[in-house]
Amino acid sequence: MKNRLKVLRAERNWTQADLAAALEVSRQTINAIEKEKFDPSLPLAFKVARLFELSIEDIFKDNADSV
Amino acid sequence: MKTILDAIACRGLPARDIKNANIVNLWALAWAISLGLISFLSKYQWYSPGFPTILAFTIQTGIGIGLLLAFIRFLKNLDEMERKIQLDALALSVGVTVVAFASYSILEKSGIVPDLKSSYLIALIALTYMAGIVFGRIRYR
Repeated sequence: MKNRLKVLRAERNWTQADLAAALEVSRQTINAIEKEKFDPSLPLAFKVARLFELSIEDIFKDNADSV
Repeated sequence: MKTILDAIACRGLPARDIKNANIVNLWALAWAISLGLISFLSKYQWYSPGFPTILAFTIQTGIGIGLLLAFIRFLKNLDEMERKIQLDALALSVGVTVVAFASYSILEKSGIVPDLKSSYLIALIALTYMAGIVFGRIRYR
């Protein structure tokens, strides 16, 4: 699953640790999501969307959509 | 090398998860010590059947249940990626142990290898579980 987490984080000048603290996960989890190695659960995706005040679809894109 | 060391040391996990992991480790240590001690006493017949056996059984089982509850609490509170790593490692550990046990049984029945000891299975479960965690942490780095 593709995502814009790194771009959105950079726009706000947040570090991975800042974002991890806001989402109550480890920095490794943020890193793995940004590198698209790990897909977040639906509750975590909603949390991310709430934090950035965007919809889930604005942040996460299914790989099938980009084909 | 640093990646592997970081994976073993679970560097970067939230303090809450490390605290819960340490509680699980203490329970596991207590369980291993009590198992070793009871086995030692049993081997040299330092306690007789009856009340001492029931006491040893109760202590060992009680510590085992404490370990299980601590591990469940640890898993429930874990960061979701680390939880996936732990569950994948548990699945690997169970799978490898079942396959190894079944294969060993065939060799054991034909007399090629000595009788299987339960301690070998516990060691295999522990080793594959630890290897699974390290591989999982490296994979998601």
